[in-house]
Amino acid sequence: MSCGPLVFLAAFFALAVSWFGLVLAPQFQVGRLQQETNVVNKAELYPSARPGLARQGLEVYRAAGCAACHTEQVGQTGTVCDVVLIDAGTNHAALIETLIRSGLGRSNPGQYLSELPKPVRQGLNKDEADRLATALKSAGAKAEVRIVPVGPDIARGWGKRRTVAEDYLYDDPVMLGSLRVGPDLANVGVRLPDPNWHLRHLYAPRLEVRDSPMPPYRYLFTMRRIGWQPSLDALQLPGEFAPPPGFEIVPKPEARALVAYLSSLRTDAVLFEAPMTAPSAPAAATATNTPAK
Amino acid sequence: MSLESNQPASNTSAIQEPQARAGLAPVWLIVLMFVLLYCGAVYFDQNGGWFDSRVYAPYQTYTELESFQPKGEGPDLARGKAVFDTICALCHGANGEGKPGQAPPLAGSEWAQGSPDRMIRIPLYGLSGAVSVKGQQFNLAMPAMGAALSPDDLAAVLVYIRTSWGNKGSVVTPEQVSAIKAKVGNHPQPFTADELNAIQ
Amino acid sequence: MIEDPSSSGSPAARLDTAQVDASCRVPLFVLFGSAVSWAVMASVLALIASIKFHSPDFLADCEWLTYGRVHAAAVDAQLYGFALQSGFGAALWIIARLGGTRVSQPWLIGFGGKLWNLGVLVGVIGILAGDSTGFENFEMPRYAGWILFLGYLMIGLWTALTLYRRNEGRLSPPQWFFLAALFWFPWIDSAAHLLLLVFRVRGVEQSLIDWWWSDNLLLVWLSLTGLGAVFYLVPKLAGRPLHSDPLALFAFWTLILFGSWAGIPAGAPVPAWIPALSAVATVMTSIPLLAVAVNVRRTLAGHCRALAANPAFRFVGFGIAAWLAAGAMRIAGALPGISPVTSFTWFGVAQSELHSYGFFAMILFGAIYCSVPQVAGLEWPCARSVRAHFWLGSIGILLSAVPLAVGGIFQGLKLNDAGTGFVELTKATLPFLRASTLGDLLMMLGNVLLLVNFVRLSVRFGRARWAPFCASFAADLKPAEVKP
Repeated sequence: MSCGPLVFLAAFFALAVSWFGLVLAPQFQVGRLQQETNVVNKAELYPSARPGLARQGLEVYRAAGCAACHTEQVGQTGTVCDVVLIDAGTNHAALIETLIRSGLGRSNPGQYLSELPKPVRQGLNKDEADRLATALKSAGAKAEVRIVPVGPDIARGWGKRRTVAEDYLYDDPVMLGSLRVGPDLANVGVRLPDPNWHLRHLYAPRLEVRDSPMPPYRYLFTMRRIGWQPSLDALQLPGEFAPPPGFEIVPKPEARALVAYLSSLRTDAVLFEAPMTAPSAPAAATATNTPAK
Repeated sequence: MSLESNQPASNTSAIQEPQARAGLAPVWLIVLMFVLLYCGAVYFDQNGGWFDSRVYAPYQTYTELESFQPKGEGPDLARGKAVFDTICALCHGANGEGKPGQAPPLAGSEWAQGSPDRMIRIPLYGLSGAVSVKGQQFNLAMPAMGAALSPDDLAAVLVYIRTSWGNKGSVVTPEQVSAIKAKVGNHPQPFTADELNAIQ
Repeated sequence: MIEDPSSSGSPAARLDTAQVDASCRVPLFVLFGSAVSWAVMASVLALIASIKFHSPDFLADCEWLTYGRVHAAAVDAQLYGFALQSGFGAALWIIARLGGTRVSQPWLIGFGGKLWNLGVLVGVIGILAGDSTGFENFEMPRYAGWILFLGYLMIGLWTALTLYRRNEGRLSPPQWFFLAALFWFPWIDSAAHLLLLVFRVRGVEQSLIDWWWSDNLLLVWLSLTGLGAVFYLVPKLAGRPLHSDPLALFAFWTLILFGSWAGIPAGAPVPAWIPALSAVATVMTSIPLLAVAVNVRRTLAGHCRALAANPAFRFVGFGIAAWLAAGAMRIAGALPGISPVTSFTWFGVAQSELHSYGFFAMILFGAIYCSVPQVAGLEWPCARSVRAHFWLGSIGILLSAVPLAVGGIFQGLKLNDAGTGFVELTKATLPFLRASTLGDLLMMLGNVLLLVNFVRLSVRFGRARWAPFCASFAADLKPAEVKP
């Protein structure tokens, strides 16, 4: 390829193809998303923009470079189905026969029908689960199939399902992170809802997590003299982390904003792209006059 | 120290920049490239979701993703109740008891527990003229309150009405609603009781 | 270094190597000199960041030096301050040499370099002050980006003009690579700048563009520039022509076609087709790896031992080996069986470091050690520190990347095992992090040696240039000595 324009064209072509494929095409697919209806709770539009203080906290997160050590994305390696027996019905013999035929052991079959509702088979694929549920229903019981995402991140409690594009709709910038020196934060608002835990952890990580490699963010706090009485906002710090007598540690607005942001982090709405059975809430009163169970 | 080992001793000679010889690209490398492209194509076929914007790993196809969606196992009573409270309860009462002179009762009504085809038409197109409900005569005009609802919402509210307050009507599906809409088409006047009774 | 007046007016006449080199002097001193200073600055910041892992309280009270900021500043200083700038310098020198022409407007290119440096300085300070954009490898704030782009326009345009005015009609492999690189950078930089910082796209599209940018800068641009230098220096140092032109062309095409699609990680929260395509493209980058390996090996064919004594060749040879190793690591990390283990671990960091430092920086060090004596007409003041730099740099990068890679694999295996507590996982990686800090220290020392050498050479050069003026000036000042 001996002439300049040809080389230039080659480079132009290769870069254009890559730009169209990786920048423009995804823009049409994920760059123009709108809020989506939660599959289960149809009145809920998801996601909603972060409230004001949490939005400011996102800027603190960005400025401190938290994404250098923390990710905000949950992975999923598969989806399995659990079959849950809700009501045993009246024909217990046929029910137990069905259960035993589906693979449960013969010894002590009565235990299958105690303490309902409970899962009777777990980890099945969709077809097996549907077949078993139908068989149980035709034996007179009430059963349902629960969709359960699985994966190492989910097993660690970092989320109930994988994160998808919809979850990041109202974040700017989106800081997914690429290294897990610290735990994933996508659902930290669910896992660690107490703001005071976060404040103490930011001030002195080793207070809350032994041997933590996270640096202390003392610059987000002010140490000041105690006034007439200790401030209500002062951190309760034991022993070696406590301030000198007569002083108290009070979070700055940046610390509060950051904690508000962390408390707002959750990705557990049920979406079309990431189906799962929502964690069951206590049965609400039905529309008829029968009392709630 | 000379960093260019074969640089001619005199720097003022003409540039002797190395020229590449025209050797051949090895065939095995080109074959390897095509083999890898083929393997890549197979991998993409399995894991790429065929460019569908809704398919995320580990799901492999849209069909698989759809199969995992929670099905409407039963009617969505909560949704039906929400719609009823918003649209119907004003006239028919919060518990379907009706308001004399305003709207007939729905609880225990033979219309609400009877043929779905009749009942679906009522909110879709309205009902006017004399109608007998639970032995009482009503002569009012009901506008097409359900005309603006989606088939899902209309089906949900109808199921709610047909199964609440002791009613024992059958379930109505959104497909049934859409079928009636398609069949009847444009019907500017509300139905009368006689027209409805003619329908099975 | 006598200028030939008869050839200065006509572009068709081939110039002397010395004349070409003389015209490169200003831009190369600016670009290489600043690059070397930024290399030291970046390695100091990287060392601070590295120490904070096993001593989190180290400089913890300084807001400007918190880990997230100092790490981002180190990465961007290394990338923009050293890698891009020295790449521009090498491109300019080799384009001028192969074209047999003087550099077009060297002072303008030098000014562009100064502007670029201002941009990097403003950007690094901005990151430390908390204005980072939040995008990986693109943390420089918006205001710095404008300055950088302006500086690049001056450098890039006049380098392209130098290429255009070449005497030799045919383009040789290094020139293809550099021309592609010259064009690549402004497009990806402006696209990323506009879409991420000016007309901000929404949601994960931001992450996609960030990954696209990182891949095209780190994998494609660094490889294009580094390979351009390789395809010039290896035949030059070996004294034999490149083995195969078509094979180099094949490597060029496959690199830009496949390399520009790699880079989207496997678990990304985007529709499945995007990471799938990226994984396929990453595996396909094995083709340019092999093509270059075959080409270089056949060019050298048995002369390696003789050349190994040449310090510049050592840098280049190490760089090529590191490029192949980093490429193999990248491909392994994209394979569906391995990526669940290596995602989000130090393995990716090790691969990236091996590529940016072990491959690109070492090759550019070789280019700097080759070109500066030619351009300045002076040998390096301390030959021993050139050799010491090689050992410090090569052992440093190995000591930094290999423990991180191994630690990353352990970390990944433990991450995938839900029974392992997170703190236990972190403690298990600490010994590897300590080893890598030692590696960072060695790399920093090597960069310091280069900086000292460069400064001494510049001082000598300055003295040699200004000595006649100084002598005549001093003679004018001294009253004439009247000898009785």
